[in-house]
Amino acid sequence: MKTNSNSQNNSKVFLFFLLSILLIWRNPLSSQERFRKSPPYPEPLPELELPNIESGFLSNGLGISVIHKDNLPVISLRLVILSGESSSPEKLPGMATFVANMLSRGALNLSSSEIEEMIEFIGGNFSSAVFPDYSLFTFTFLEEYLDEALEILGKMILQPSFNRREIENVQRSMFYDLVRKNTDSEFIAKRVLFKLLFKGHSYRKSIYSEDIIKNFNQKSLFAFFDNYYRPNNARIILTGNLNLSTASRKVSRYLNTWKRKNLEVSLPSLPEPNQRLKICFVNLPKTEDTTIYMGNIVPPLTNPDFFPFVVLNQVLGGTPTSHLFMNLRESKGYAYYAFSEVEFFRICGVFYIKAKVRPEVTYASIKESLAEVEKITKEEIPSFEIEQAKSYLIGNFPLRIETFENISLKVSEIKAFNLGEEHWSKYYENIMLISPKKVFEIAQKYPLLTPVVVIVGDQNIIIDHLRDFKEVEVYNKKGILLYYIKRGEE
Amino acid sequence: MCNMKQCIMSKRNFLLFTLLLLFLPASFAEAQQEKELPFPITQYKLKNGLQIIISEDYSLPIVSVVVAYNVGSINEQPGKTGLAYLLRNLMFQGSENIGRMQHISFIHRTGGELNAATTQDKTIFSQTVPSNQLALVLWLESDRMRSLDIDDNNVIRAKDDLIEEIHQRKATDPYLESYLYFDQLLFPDFAYSHPVIGTEADVRDITVEDVKSFYSSYYIPNNAVLCITGNINKRKTKSLIQKYFETIPEGKKPPPPDLAKSSERTAKVETFRDSLASAPGFYLGYRIAPPYTVDFYPLAIIEYILLRGESSRLYKRLVKKERIAFQMSGEIEKKEDLAALKIFVINNNEVMMERSQKAIFSEINKLKSSFISEEELIRSKNMFKMDYIKQYATTVDKAIFLVETHLAKNSLDFLGDEINKYLAVTPSDIIGIANRYFTQERILLNIRIK
Repeated sequence: MKTNSNSQNNSKVFLFFLLSILLIWRNPLSSQERFRKSPPYPEPLPELELPNIESGFLSNGLGISVIHKDNLPVISLRLVILSGESSSPEKLPGMATFVANMLSRGALNLSSSEIEEMIEFIGGNFSSAVFPDYSLFTFTFLEEYLDEALEILGKMILQPSFNRREIENVQRSMFYDLVRKNTDSEFIAKRVLFKLLFKGHSYRKSIYSEDIIKNFNQKSLFAFFDNYYRPNNARIILTGNLNLSTASRKVSRYLNTWKRKNLEVSLPSLPEPNQRLKICFVNLPKTEDTTIYMGNIVPPLTNPDFFPFVVLNQVLGGTPTSHLFMNLRESKGYAYYAFSEVEFFRICGVFYIKAKVRPEVTYASIKESLAEVEKITKEEIPSFEIEQAKSYLIGNFPLRIETFENISLKVSEIKAFNLGEEHWSKYYENIMLISPKKVFEIAQKYPLLTPVVVIVGDQNIIIDHLRDFKEVEVYNKKGILLYYIKRGEE
Repeated sequence: MCNMKQCIMSKRNFLLFTLLLLFLPASFAEAQQEKELPFPITQYKLKNGLQIIISEDYSLPIVSVVVAYNVGSINEQPGKTGLAYLLRNLMFQGSENIGRMQHISFIHRTGGELNAATTQDKTIFSQTVPSNQLALVLWLESDRMRSLDIDDNNVIRAKDDLIEEIHQRKATDPYLESYLYFDQLLFPDFAYSHPVIGTEADVRDITVEDVKSFYSSYYIPNNAVLCITGNINKRKTKSLIQKYFETIPEGKKPPPPDLAKSSERTAKVETFRDSLASAPGFYLGYRIAPPYTVDFYPLAIIEYILLRGESSRLYKRLVKKERIAFQMSGEIEKKEDLAALKIFVINNNEVMMERSQKAIFSEINKLKSSFISEEELIRSKNMFKMDYIKQYATTVDKAIFLVETHLAKNSLDFLGDEINKYLAVTPSDIIGIANRYFTQERILLNIRIK
């Protein structure tokens, strides 16, 4: 029996062994399941070597910076004029944008079409963007045509024609562009928010409507150009396979006759943050959803609070895994999206939350957004969340400077705001230093709980939901106050 | 420095240059042409058929991972449209070891970015992360390739989202209705004529079993390409790929889509009343030679001569000079083994619409009968070259460029010389090809306001 039993046991062991072998053989994955069950540990964070920025000045005061990159046979040129919409005349907001749009629209002996053909001949693309503090021109072309590109730029800068036919063309295109945007709920919400936040401030000049376009004429364009388009008020940033000495020699060849002029530059005053919660509504018929923009004035890029503020924004609404999105969309199902952003200017920033929600939950969405903000002003954000936000910001930084255009945009911003190169060379270090305590201090320091709230939607759909608020100021699409809706009143 | 107009060779100089070339050793003339891509490529295949492409780039500490499946809406059957698009969305709803939406949050936590796209003939998933997170992305991608979570809840949620998206597009996208009808005329077979996003009725009818069957037929390693570009160690990368992908079982070879009628060229003129159109306009389309064929190279340059940039012939004439078109755009649309040149114009009224059509036909006739100037040809080629280069401007662009090329040609060996074939197009090529393809066999769809 004993022998038998042993033999049975041996058979069981053998069967078990055979079964195990068969299982492993039948399912090749089973031996690897362990590593599939959890995410792998990352290797150490790779070092980021930022490209060297060489900078210098021509004798006429024109600043030149060169970023050496040689992985594409392309050059990206950025021209920064250190004056933007805040320098437009009081009665002609939009002037800086209009002048920028006119720059490629003809020069002495060259029509708009001829300039366009010259740009496209070198595989180029030329565009402009105007901000409250500066005007930015982007010119990308094939690297073998640097001389031709500078020649074109020289003609535009040294011999602008601002001819009347082209002024009419730009007036038409800017007018229709603004009319078209008047149907875009996000554009309207942001425009009204910024208009209210910058009430009485020079930054308000960057918010203008289509009515003003007809007032620009040749004389006023030349006056603005003559004042601000000066080499000592400009910077050129070149990104490509070249060095400062070659770049300076070539730029000088085409722009050394650009005459400097003493400018009276005064920094705009600091705008007052909004001190009490203000609810505003703009009617946009036939829109199915409600768009919400709510924001207030915060510190500028140059302030030491900038870095903790960027981390705060990341935790609150920077990505789809941040608090606002997770709460308003994933948890409550109110919103199609809900994010927060910070837009920076020379003397301040604007922090705002933006969301697109179902009309019937407009009140609840604003309440939830404010509750999320309140939470970070009442208690410290857990350190693992702060670390996650920092990890995102550090990991995302190299992605934002990958293209020639993006890296030169970053350097343009540094030059426009006079930030100093440490602002980006020490970006990693500065973000790494942020603690939950520091973010908590910042959350309490700035008026995040008293924003201006702008709601854009169809009045017929949303009107009953607006009555949930104590008082609503009703504006038109251009940001002009029309009337009030008060709770309990018809 | 040479002035731009001086830069363009005079006829005399051009002759001299040609003669000089004839007497030069062959190797010198060849040396003027790039035969290699400006970045390294390593290609190989795993035992399960998964195609691998690796390209190192050490300029920044980032890496892009792209997985492309050779499947799109052309693989759908009648009554099951929207299936490819729905499955793309389901790829974010979790797999055996990864919860719903966790793929997105894992990538975001690293500071990375991700995207996905489904077209008629391919589905592409891309992500860019700090290079120390390569293993994480391979873990995520391999898990959804081998064990996607397809259950009632996930499918119902994805169907609801897709139906909502169909409603949104229908409600907000002007000229979409007419565009879809135009596509049906241009590509009359079912495979290419139905919308990638599907129809509401078909999406409602999709079952869990349909999704499972589509997934197991097409989301298999031997129907996919994995491309990794960026700051990587090649040896370590190969080892990670092997670890995460090699044990995923090979699938049964997917059946080819039914493209029976797609090679036909026909002539049609029709009118369509578009409910969202705010102004009249038209679509004009010509079926042309597919990419990577000898005829395609001049056709691509013709696209730039006629349609690309503000100094292109059609934009200059219709929008800038005669101002008969309110808006004009156009491009060559490439499909798996087909291509078409499409032009879309919006006019202020129907008189302008007729004038625009006449102007386009007259410009096409000019292209067929007169040699293009050297200056215009250089402009078109330079614009083309810039766009071609931009296809590999970032690590993720490069990875997408490589997988798309691989899916289309099943090889990358020819790529080093590819751009030179476009840049070698001559004025005579343009005339010959324009006469061959821009004939009366064209589709014209006039759009009227409802």
